[in-house]
Amino acid sequence: MKLLDRYEEVVGHQEIERLRRLAERLVGKRILQVNSTRTGGGVAEILDWMVPFLRELGIDAAWEVIEGNPDFYRVTKGFHNGLQGLPVNLRKRDFDLHYELNRQNAERLNLQADVVFVHDPQPIYLPQFTPAGQVGRWIWRCHIDASRPNRAIWKYLEGALPHYEATIFSMPAFTRPMACPMFLVPPSIDPLSDKNCPIPENERLETLNSLGIDPERPMLLQVSRFDRFKDPLGVIEAYRLLKPYHPTIQLVLAGGPADDDPEGADVLRDVMDYAGEDKDLKVLMLPPNAHRTINALQRSAVVVLQKSLREGFGLTVTEALWKTKPVIGGASGGITLQVHDFQTGFLVHSPAGAAYRILYLLRYPEKRQRMGQKGREFVREHFLLTRHLRDYLTLLLSLDRPGNGELVV
Amino acid sequence: MAEIQPFTIVDCSLARQALGRNCSNLREVLDAVRNVPDAVLEHHLLRCPLEDHFELYEFPNDLARWCWEALNDPVLAEKLGLVDPYKLPGINELRAVLVETIEDHLWGVDRVNWCRPGFEWHIISSRLVAFETGEHVPTPVALAEAIGRMSTRSLFYHVHEARRRTGGKTDDFSIWLEQLGANPDLVAAIRAIDFYFLNLNQLRAELTAVFQHYFAEAGQAEKPQP
Repeated sequence: MKLLDRYEEVVGHQEIERLRRLAERLVGKRILQVNSTRTGGGVAEILDWMVPFLRELGIDAAWEVIEGNPDFYRVTKGFHNGLQGLPVNLRKRDFDLHYELNRQNAERLNLQADVVFVHDPQPIYLPQFTPAGQVGRWIWRCHIDASRPNRAIWKYLEGALPHYEATIFSMPAFTRPMACPMFLVPPSIDPLSDKNCPIPENERLETLNSLGIDPERPMLLQVSRFDRFKDPLGVIEAYRLLKPYHPTIQLVLAGGPADDDPEGADVLRDVMDYAGEDKDLKVLMLPPNAHRTINALQRSAVVVLQKSLREGFGLTVTEALWKTKPVIGGASGGITLQVHDFQTGFLVHSPAGAAYRILYLLRYPEKRQRMGQKGREFVREHFLLTRHLRDYLTLLLSLDRPGNGELVV
Repeated sequence: MAEIQPFTIVDCSLARQALGRNCSNLREVLDAVRNVPDAVLEHHLLRCPLEDHFELYEFPNDLARWCWEALNDPVLAEKLGLVDPYKLPGINELRAVLVETIEDHLWGVDRVNWCRPGFEWHIISSRLVAFETGEHVPTPVALAEAIGRMSTRSLFYHVHEARRRTGGKTDDFSIWLEQLGANPDLVAAIRAIDFYFLNLNQLRAELTAVFQHYFAEAGQAEKPQP
């Protein structure tokens, strides 16, 4: 079965037809994506589906990956943290190394294309070293919150931007004033991926049993890495506040190790200490590829929490909404775009607030179900990969015919 | 007499751009409304139905909603919610009305409200990209059926954007029906729908109800009298 046909079953024939119509105007164009890794991480996950999807729509899509050494990746990790405003200590030779490796990659890669999307800061200086006329237009796709960057890092990266015709950010809160146009394309989830596809009931039950979770009793869930900004202790506090009134309730905190976060181990230890000997409270360390396990957990939860104090877009919220679960979310980052009070869940500002809203949802199962259904439809309309693709095609058409007014293509 | 062409269904999508600016209080909003490009006001006042999903939002534009949700200012939210851009001749007039409304409100308050962190009003502009879907409907019955299943973006294009294109006079459906010689009452009933205060699914329901009403009447008229 063709890729487009598989998605047609989820989003409908009309939606796929519209994508085909939009793409007709771009057929034959060579569109190249460049990033820093073929596997692992959110960007690779997006390109994994996007490139074949574009090809099936008749676009000559390709994907190139830059090469670097451990020192290069140490520097670009510093860029990643620095863009998010964290303190970083990089020297001039680090910036020189990044610049030089961009030069080498520009020589090595096939960058002949009508449009090149450069993802994140790692390959940002490629246009500097590409002969004029080889690329129709360069677009920088920044997946990171760059609203309050470290000044030195930003000054360096900003030097690459005059070569770009446009940039793309996931949400307006991630942008900062820039001369280059900043398009907005929110991220999306893949409804057919292991993390989001329907799973057989026996697999769901087996997963719960293997993790020591009682499928007969209500379960609260937060899926996130062990990071203070995800407020795992606040989630436990909320659970403890309502446990006396709902003695059968269970809480699962599921996350992976945060390798790039030196605080991760400390946070996990604090969480384990705080969780204590409570048999109804499970702290699960899952491997990075435990997608189906997370899928089963999300489908089994009665309410999903994402009580972040600081958040990126929050795709775990999108995943939970897609599985018809109302979400109690911290009012931060992209959670505020997805969780709407009384519609798809509740935004909360404290553990007590979270407990209060969970109580409400437990008391009114019909409302809970209605909110869950609304959440799923909300995601279907706004946060599936087909919308993501439509945004990209729209952006390309808009750049092809510059102007301010309505564009009829 | 020229032959009337079938109705062509158009879909649309937005290319949205951030300005990298946001507002945390009403004074900042006033300053922004005075100075932002037209495309920003178009996005936040006219195109917001495309981003809307829920039926319980009381207010039809982003500014009114933001005043309600982020500033906790129901009085201003109510005033801004009643600004109907489709009843104004153009963006300059819309800008003037918004400035007057916000300025007047600020005049009467002792303290300017600030929004909670995370609820800033992010200034966005957009460009609408429209494209033919390849679907053509030849009759009013086929149009009614198509309205029931077309995307909400198509509804927006044929009703909201059409009003803008025609200086607030009409939508694409009724103008085509008029050219086709359809019942003038049907045409008038479609034009009378107060679309600005409906979300797109509610608009679909209203349009469907109007068609059903007139088709039922037409059916009655064709029945032999006893």
